[in-house]
Amino acid sequence: MIGQVVAFNQTLNDPIKYFGTPKNMLLEFRLLSQRCSVIRNITILTAEELNSAASGPSHKTRYVLTGPSGCGKSFLLLQAVQYCLAKEWIVIYIPRAKTMVNSTTTHVYDLRTQTYLQPNYAHQTLRRILEVNSANLQTLTMRDGLSYERRSFSSGTTLAQLASAGSKDPAISSVVFETLLTELCRQSKIPVLLAVDDFQSIYNQKTTYRDPHFSAIRPYHLAIPRFILEFASGKRSFPKGAIIGALTAADPAFPVTNELMDELGVPGVHPRSPYSKRSKIFQEYARGLRNLPVPTEFSPREAASVFETWMRDNALTAPANDELFLAKYTESGGNPKAFVWQGILGTLEGAAPVVNESTSWPQLREGRI
Amino acid sequence: MNILRSQICSVLRRPLYRQLTTTARPFVPPAQLVFHDNLYVPGAKELDDSTVEALVGETNEQEPEGDEEDPDDDRDKPHPDSPNFYTGRPSYYDNIIELQNAISRTRGTLQRLHLLPLPEFARKSLQPMPTVWKTPEEMTTDFETNMTISRYRRVTTLLNELNEYLRIATTAGYADVADRIGSIISIFESGKKEAFLSRGIRKPVLLDQHGRSYTFGKRKTSAARVWMIPVKSSTHETISDVNVEEVFGLSNEPKRSPVNVTVSTILVNNIPIAEYFPQPVDRERIVRPLKIAGVLGKYNVFTLVRGGGTTGQSGAIAHGIAKGIFAHEPETGVVLKRAKLLRRDPRMVERKKTGLAKARKRYTWVKR
Repeated sequence: MIGQVVAFNQTLNDPIKYFGTPKNMLLEFRLLSQRCSVIRNITILTAEELNSAASGPSHKTRYVLTGPSGCGKSFLLLQAVQYCLAKEWIVIYIPRAKTMVNSTTTHVYDLRTQTYLQPNYAHQTLRRILEVNSANLQTLTMRDGLSYERRSFSSGTTLAQLASAGSKDPAISSVVFETLLTELCRQSKIPVLLAVDDFQSIYNQKTTYRDPHFSAIRPYHLAIPRFILEFASGKRSFPKGAIIGALTAADPAFPVTNELMDELGVPGVHPRSPYSKRSKIFQEYARGLRNLPVPTEFSPREAASVFETWMRDNALTAPANDELFLAKYTESGGNPKAFVWQGILGTLEGAAPVVNESTSWPQLREGRI
Repeated sequence: MNILRSQICSVLRRPLYRQLTTTARPFVPPAQLVFHDNLYVPGAKELDDSTVEALVGETNEQEPEGDEEDPDDDRDKPHPDSPNFYTGRPSYYDNIIELQNAISRTRGTLQRLHLLPLPEFARKSLQPMPTVWKTPEEMTTDFETNMTISRYRRVTTLLNELNEYLRIATTAGYADVADRIGSIISIFESGKKEAFLSRGIRKPVLLDQHGRSYTFGKRKTSAARVWMIPVKSSTHETISDVNVEEVFGLSNEPKRSPVNVTVSTILVNNIPIAEYFPQPVDRERIVRPLKIAGVLGKYNVFTLVRGGGTTGQSGAIAHGIAKGIFAHEPETGVVLKRAKLLRRDPRMVERKKTGLAKARKRYTWVKR
């Protein structure tokens, strides 16, 4: 099983279709004939952790996947999402968390919560959660009623109905999203997984959003990043479930911050000293996060399975033999992204030129072209 | 056979002998050696008879001694060691004569052994014995004269002839003859002979006690030090490699024994190759020698590279790896040589010339 490439099931509530994937993964799935991934040791480990997390509160299982650029953190997160869905969990997967802090959606200041709401983002997220988890949400009901802006929901309405109402109307979607999360925090029937890729983007001191004084808005002053920070720090918790985040190692706009690196014990590229700047607020939000390091290189068996997958898809320009495989493995050092993108797909090596023995020109027979 | 006298001690003259042949003595004209009695000294007093007798007695005692020394000096003077003393360059001419004597004796011996005159085909089959003689500066101290070109040429002509006889004697198998000639020749051979003769020849790279090779590679202005060690393959099968379905006999695929493949790790300045060289072309250049020699996965490589840019550094590492593969497996030499991987790429940045904008680029041509 380990070292085998398996395809993701095409189900009705396919998370890849509704939640989406990070950009690199999306491009790779476009090239492949089937969306697939390789099962590694770390996959089995994560599955075991999630099995044990199904019975405990989410503040006890808060993991962050770390590793160098291209080692397979996003893929592992997607595998975790697929595993939990297969186990009938409720899954909230945010593949590109930096879109909630890079000022691509509208933000509106709300006096009641004293935070900036992101109505369009909330509307989008509600729609996605509903599409993927509709079956589970129909079994859960609201404990308290909600009335907001001429809309009212009595206690006992299913969470699916609540979510569908919020996904139709962006005006109430922020409040509905908040209510949905609160209700999910109260029910202990179904475990909930909150999976966030680009996890470090919400830990950066400044988002790209600007307030009326043109100073940068902090992520904990934006509604949706604040929810994720609260779940990640354990201030909010699902009675059953887990929180998993995956870092993006090489994003210069949103680098991994000192507070995260200190908490996770990651060395980082630049040396840090006790005199480096750290924010107490983010240290508080990062407390209790556990590091789940993803292995930096493929084992030869895993790499061979990936190589065979691309080989079967006719992606190789050179003749497929063990020399090509070993050469590309050595060049990439086993790094998954480098092996696939720069090794298999990015090579200019082709088939060796064949000498035509029957030609009448002797210099062509010698192989000199 | 007494071919040559024992000339080794007499060939080299010590400067001390020369100094002893001439003695420094003050020059006294013969007329002044006789004592004059009637010397007119104005104001001199008349001496008593007793003092005059005493003075005459002293001079009479001195005179016979002075008279006896003159003929003895001629007899006590030592003879010069060699007849070349009066040439002014005794050591040089002595050595020339000794070499000529050695040549003539050796020639006589070889003629008696029917080794001279040697036919053309035999001369071609002689064992090559290239030699490097001492420089004129070194010979100056030996011969105690300034070795001008003509004097140096004279000496080296004689030495070359002796070397020819040495070649004939060694090829013919006469070891004692060869030894005696060799003993003379070795006095005039340069100490840097080994270094001079082995210049340009590739020195064999030795593996250390752990089986590592240490080679050097260069390209443009980059230099790389490369250590290569064979990968140790572990034969144990891990639990994760066991296919559960196959173990229980549930899979339909035919059972194949898994092939244990070792993989090479390449570290550049202690950084993995994929991290140090982001461009695939640089990585391919480095892995190319392993690919051509067919030793992918056989060696682990550790390099320290310095200078230049990405292309220079990757080229230097590739050169070093090719040399390292050749050190571990000399059979790959033919393949690596054909691929020009063992050759230090001589291409360097061309200099800028006067009147041109760059090395080759000319300034815009203006008609007027």
